[in-house]
Amino acid sequence: MIEVRGLCKEFERSRKAERTAGKAKKQRVKKETFLAVDHVSIEACEGEIIGILGPNGAGKTTLLRMMGMLMSPTGGEVVLTDEEGNEIAELTQKKAAIGYLSGNTKLYPRFSVREYLQFLGELYGFDKDMVRKRSEEIFKVLDMEGFADNRIEKLSTGQTQRASIARCLMADPQVYILDEPTLGLDILSADAIIHFMREQKERGKTVLYSTHYLEEAQILCDRIYMIRDGRIVAHGTPAALMQQTGTDNLRAAFHVLYDTEGAR
Amino acid sequence: MKKIGLLIRKEMLDILRDKKTLIMMILVPIVLYPLLIIGMTLVLNSVMSTSEEVSYTVGFDGEYADVVADLQEVMAQDSEEFDEDVEFLAMDEGGSSAVLDATLRFETDSDGRLRAEITYDSTAMNSAHVCRMLEDAVEGYRQKLVVEGLAKLDLDEDFLHPIICTTVDEVSEAESFGVSIGGSIGMMLIVMILMGALYPAIDTTAGEKERGTLETLLTLPVTNFQMIFSKFVSVAIIACVTALLSLISLAGSVLFLIFGVAGDMVVEFGFSATAMVGALPMLFLTMLVTALLSSALCMCFCVFAKSFKEANNYVTPLLLVVMIASMAGMLPSVELDQRTVLIPIVNVSLMMKQVLSQQFSFVLAGVANLVNLCVSILIIWFLAKMYDSENILFADGFRSFRLFVRRSDVKKGTVPDNGDVMLAVTVLFLLMIYVGSAASARLGFWGTAVTQLMILAVPLLLVWYMKSDVKTLFSLNAPRKGTVLGSVLLYLGTYCLIMVLSVALMVLFPESMENVELAFSPIAEQPFVFILLVVALMPAVGEEFLFRGLMFGSIRANWLKRHPKEPAVKGAVYAILISAAVFGVFHMSLAKFFTTFLLGALFAYIVYRTGSIYVTMGLHFVNNAVSMAVMKYPEAVGKVLPFLMEEELSMVEIVGLLAAGVVLAGLGFMLLGKKKE
Repeated sequence: MIEVRGLCKEFERSRKAERTAGKAKKQRVKKETFLAVDHVSIEACEGEIIGILGPNGAGKTTLLRMMGMLMSPTGGEVVLTDEEGNEIAELTQKKAAIGYLSGNTKLYPRFSVREYLQFLGELYGFDKDMVRKRSEEIFKVLDMEGFADNRIEKLSTGQTQRASIARCLMADPQVYILDEPTLGLDILSADAIIHFMREQKERGKTVLYSTHYLEEAQILCDRIYMIRDGRIVAHGTPAALMQQTGTDNLRAAFHVLYDTEGAR
Repeated sequence: MKKIGLLIRKEMLDILRDKKTLIMMILVPIVLYPLLIIGMTLVLNSVMSTSEEVSYTVGFDGEYADVVADLQEVMAQDSEEFDEDVEFLAMDEGGSSAVLDATLRFETDSDGRLRAEITYDSTAMNSAHVCRMLEDAVEGYRQKLVVEGLAKLDLDEDFLHPIICTTVDEVSEAESFGVSIGGSIGMMLIVMILMGALYPAIDTTAGEKERGTLETLLTLPVTNFQMIFSKFVSVAIIACVTALLSLISLAGSVLFLIFGVAGDMVVEFGFSATAMVGALPMLFLTMLVTALLSSALCMCFCVFAKSFKEANNYVTPLLLVVMIASMAGMLPSVELDQRTVLIPIVNVSLMMKQVLSQQFSFVLAGVANLVNLCVSILIIWFLAKMYDSENILFADGFRSFRLFVRRSDVKKGTVPDNGDVMLAVTVLFLLMIYVGSAASARLGFWGTAVTQLMILAVPLLLVWYMKSDVKTLFSLNAPRKGTVLGSVLLYLGTYCLIMVLSVALMVLFPESMENVELAFSPIAEQPFVFILLVVALMPAVGEEFLFRGLMFGSIRANWLKRHPKEPAVKGAVYAILISAAVFGVFHMSLAKFFTTFLLGALFAYIVYRTGSIYVTMGLHFVNNAVSMAVMKYPEAVGKVLPFLMEEELSMVEIVGLLAAGVVLAGLGFMLLGKKKE
């Protein structure tokens, strides 16, 4: 289970500010700090798919990066507990317990998929023969036997995404954090990803993912957090959100929530 | 450990599958070097051999045909010296000189002496060559005439040589070989290693970022240190292999030239390879350490780049600096000594010169390698600290530097970041080396004052730019009550210990101590008031501001800010140790490092406990003033404080000093420790 308590991230941004120096007005860039993630608290349990929704620049990616231990928060904390309910404290163990996948987590182009999985498996501490066996299983499940020995730089987009999923599977983490995993994929590849997430949920894993496809989130997610300007504006099951806004689909609910929040 | 092994394997595989690296690593040394060397030699050879077949034509005055005949006879007798054909052509007054390589004219002056004049063209090889031959021939003819003249006077030839001077070069052939080409071999080796390290360093850092695999790497369960260390080791291995290949390929081409095609062309070096065997292990070790150092240097720059192109831009200045530094071995008067051994790269170059001339000291070579190893480890440690996901992946790189922000955007009361402080010290260090030594050379004693002013100016400028709260940062407070006595006692105790330590160091580094005394000799001529001002008062203010104010203050404040949960003492210890280490290095002397380190740590501790920089300023002043007094008035000081003057301490004195030191320092510690903040 992964829990986020009062998480904050402060960034610096440039803003043009007008300043009168002498008589002439001078345009100059002023640096100021702002909270990209503003006191966010999230809880995700075993066997749950959690959706993180929000417009571009809402702070989704920053939030997920902090949960994936790629960024350190400026406030609050991320708590990971294992199956027995003990807190995982050490950073490398936390990283081992999290499978993080985003558009920026590319694979080594000069390796073949098989070599890469072998390296990964051994790095996660499994022994050689077991890694070999697991790779074969993964290739079978994801239907990758045809290109397992090709160099990754030679693969197509869909094949590459499947290789990325294979990467996550090899580590077999407790928590999957997926940043827009279906972005830019064709229907078949996207369905494969959705299938993958459902399967992990059934295996009792925790899945957190961000997306812009509301229809997809509506059928897939157990609970949804909507964020805007770094803050959570609404959360609950898709059904609860639709009921709260008096709409019959998530897209309409999204609009209602954001319009009222904007008016506030 | 297992993880590091796996990571190294992954890095190596990744690097070795990159075409660019392979070209640099294998193609260049194996194909390009031999091609260049053999090609160049063959071209040169063919140029030279065409010139050999030429016969020279020299024009001369028809009037002096008998003299020319004598010359020809001289030349014919010594066929070894004059092995080429020279054809003499008699020419009339107006004869054209177009076809002639040189002309020879004679004239008898009023005293009846014969004067020879050779006209030649210094830009044409043939002409210059025949001119030298003619000169030799005329000289031979002169000697012949002299001997004949002496014979007429019934004198032996020995009459002309009542004394004979011969020179013997005490330097062995191998040594002079080392001096003449050792330096350039050192430079070549360094540059080769650097070139070998360059591409893999860029590939594993900026390249990984560019390909988007770095974020994936950061999700893996490995620590920053494991990640950086494995990259570093892989780059160093590649650098070593490249250097080895280059060396083998170079040696191979030279051997090929000696025993192959152009055997007679290659100059005999008089260099025995067997004598080199003893130095081989040291050479090999040096190569390894240099590979580590250049890998660390390259990575230090590449880590901050986002792309290959950017990394290339960052690395170019590094390349230039290293190249220039590696030329140190070619400078005739620069030798590996206590000072130069501390400068990375330069020490390798100088060491190579020594190794190849077979007169190297194992101690200095060891120290040089140790220094380079330490520098590499420091860089890697620093990188591992910097290489957290945020700094490298998502920010603009140099996040630890607040200096690169416009001053109007700097908030009031900003504490300079550690990066700023280190940058300031580095800049100051360079200023001291270049401006400071130039000032000393020009102005002598007052040049030291210029250096001291720079030391004062740099921290002040930095805090002005940062709009820092100087009072807090520099601890410009009155000391806490009751802490002054403790500080003085602690200082006195430590001084006793330092005296014992410096006697011990004198045994270890005798030359360095002499250097120190030599450096003080121009100072001693000045009036004591000036000495006090420049060597005691100014450092007491400037160095305290720099080390105890800026450095200790900033590092401690930054540590506290970054580790809010941990006990504050840890931050103070960290800041004391770092400021003391830099203070020690700053004095640019191996022998003085330990004592200045101790003093630096002591002063920083006193600032920490008393909360006041004025106390250490006072102590620093007294410390320098006393040692100046010892230099200036040895006799007078000897009367008052005789133990200060002794160069060697008896056992009793050592024990006494140690005991006094421990007791005084202990008392001081107790007094200082009692006052809780």
